[in-house]
Amino acid sequence: MIIRTAKHLGYPVKRVHAIFFMLTCLLSASFSVAQIEDFTYVTDQMLSNPPKGEWLSWRGTPAAWGFSPLDQINNENVDQLQLKWSFALDNTGAIQAAPLIHDGVMFIPSARGVIQALDAVTGDLHWEYRPAPPTEEFINSGAGNRAAVLPADAFAGVGRGVQKNIALYGEMIYASTETASIRAIDARSGLLVWETQVADPTLGYFYTAGPIIANGTLITGINGCDRYKDDVCFITGHDPETGEEKWRTSTVARPEDPGGDTWGDLPLRFRAGSDAWIAGSYDPHANLIYWGTAQAKPWARVVRGTDGDALYTNSTLALNPDNGEMLWYFQHIPGETLDMDEVFENILIDIDGRKSLFKMGKLGILWQLDRQTGEFIKATDIGYQNIVNLDPITGQITYRDGMIPRIGEELSMCPSTSGVKSWRAMAYSPKTSAMYIPITLNCELATFGPTERELGGGGAGPVRRINFHHPQSDGNLGEILALEIPSGEVKWRYRSRAPFNTAALTTAGGLVFAGDWNRTMSALDADNGELLWQVRLATSNQGFPISYSVNGKQYIAMPVGTGGASWSGSLPRELAPELSRPRSGSSIYVFALPD
Amino acid sequence: MTRYQLAVLLFSGLCLQSISTAQTMTIWAGVYSSEQAARGEIIYNTACIACHGKDLGGNSNSPGLAGMGFMFLWEGRTLGTFFEKIQENMPTDRPGKLPAQDYVDVVSYIMQANAFPNGDNELPKDLDALNDIAITARP
Repeated sequence: MIIRTAKHLGYPVKRVHAIFFMLTCLLSASFSVAQIEDFTYVTDQMLSNPPKGEWLSWRGTPAAWGFSPLDQINNENVDQLQLKWSFALDNTGAIQAAPLIHDGVMFIPSARGVIQALDAVTGDLHWEYRPAPPTEEFINSGAGNRAAVLPADAFAGVGRGVQKNIALYGEMIYASTETASIRAIDARSGLLVWETQVADPTLGYFYTAGPIIANGTLITGINGCDRYKDDVCFITGHDPETGEEKWRTSTVARPEDPGGDTWGDLPLRFRAGSDAWIAGSYDPHANLIYWGTAQAKPWARVVRGTDGDALYTNSTLALNPDNGEMLWYFQHIPGETLDMDEVFENILIDIDGRKSLFKMGKLGILWQLDRQTGEFIKATDIGYQNIVNLDPITGQITYRDGMIPRIGEELSMCPSTSGVKSWRAMAYSPKTSAMYIPITLNCELATFGPTERELGGGGAGPVRRINFHHPQSDGNLGEILALEIPSGEVKWRYRSRAPFNTAALTTAGGLVFAGDWNRTMSALDADNGELLWQVRLATSNQGFPISYSVNGKQYIAMPVGTGGASWSGSLPRELAPELSRPRSGSSIYVFALPD
Repeated sequence: MTRYQLAVLLFSGLCLQSISTAQTMTIWAGVYSSEQAARGEIIYNTACIACHGKDLGGNSNSPGLAGMGFMFLWEGRTLGTFFEKIQENMPTDRPGKLPAQDYVDVVSYIMQANAFPNGDNELPKDLDALNDIAITARP
């Protein structure tokens, strides 16, 4: 059994945490049915150019297209898809899984740190890694405060415990945890190799996004930066062999740093937010990683006490993965004030001679940046927001009259704080030169309130909210929007009563796959949006669908589950009350054509 | 004054007194017991803590249930409204599925966390009674 003592390098950890980590190592369980014998070492080159049938990064490749080059399943035969296998995942927390595929094995992150290795053809279990439940001592120490650590048998649907993605490199699986540590797990056996504490969970830090690998460095972005503390949010780079922290880059400009004055005269402890809660992308040719940051906290300018730009919130950052140096940044919404997050996936596309980066935030503006320089190229407002005006030449954002909230005054905003777009990643298809975007349609009457400006206070800030249907929605909450790239022209829209609740997956077979809150998984024609195939699954489709092949046969995998952001349940309940879903049923479903 | 007029006057007076009593019953009157709040804490730690946090401070997706945030969201309304809100919507994965007594016990725990005074009697689970208790700023 390979277990090295968990060690922390480079960050002060309270003794109780050290005890916890040792206990975690000792108590965590790896249930192994069959060790994986035929496992090929995963290299940087493989990550950059994965074998056609493999899915080695959370969005397929470091460019994050969410595209599979497989075409065995196509728009001529997709209606023949059959269930090949399914596997129940833990119901102990939220599921938003992004599975990986290597050497015929599916590695899937489940709730609360559980990772399983499954035979990708049969669904048979190779091994299961299961972290120990927290000890009473740990919980009573206060470390569970805000980190909200729960026993492993807690009920389904809790808002924490999400691990969206994991990384695969060498012979290891890398995961980040809800208690702000990162883990290396032997990909063959499922045994814990090392665990390193990155931040102090008693300050509220935790992870929901998993790591990526870039030029041999393991990189993660922290979450839980909303409370006031004498620290600010960050991204870290680690040695994958040991977990040793190589660098740490703040995602908030400190008072003494360049850009520090964009927070006015607020001291460090009142500079909150800029969480890096979605995994980044990587361009191996430029040797740059691209990472999004979230909005400043508290959400409303008047509550956080500055109307400054608040760098580097709501930005795309280009970092050198070797040392964390920031090469450029582009702030999408300076001084954001209505919880319109821009943290989401960065899609790297070379188009019309431009090495570009595309992304979309909650406002539903599709940004195109030069990923070498950070220069603004183009922005397309898809027309569902009433909050800002966008200068299409410069990309500059200005708030519309009345859309900068004041405490206690109601305003009517589209979208609601759910966003037009959220973590449900869009996918690009080079076959159609189009982007396929899971959209949520709704609006909100919002009244922002104050928070305590003291250590431990802050947070997002209270909001009285009343959700209502978007005036352009015809009562629908969900849409898959296809935009032509780079023109930004609408190719087609496909709407559904329920919100789409997964990332999109595109394939070389001319297909787009996505799933909704109402248990329905759909396959659409990428060219015209025609519905070609549907199936109802156990509960809400939730997570990141993928495609892969083993022995020449193509498969489509869809995760389903519950939990996560509270509005994912409250929106349909309020605005589509005739819909319902089971509270349990988290699973992975795998489909293929008949043998 | 006729007997009828007298009766009307007395009845009106009783009504006014009743309304007045209802209006003056607030969260500051010791309307829950510490034992009830202790029960509510156990339920909270099972059903609510993962989203709202051990300190009831909430996070980006879940409102805070203590301090300024709580008063901003709920001042001027009644405990009945608050009770109904959480009973209809919480926990998010199984709204309304806890026993009514559990919900009202959680309400009492949230009151304790907000330093509203406790008393000898438990908070009832009867909605009409809860609607008679106003959430007001400290007198």
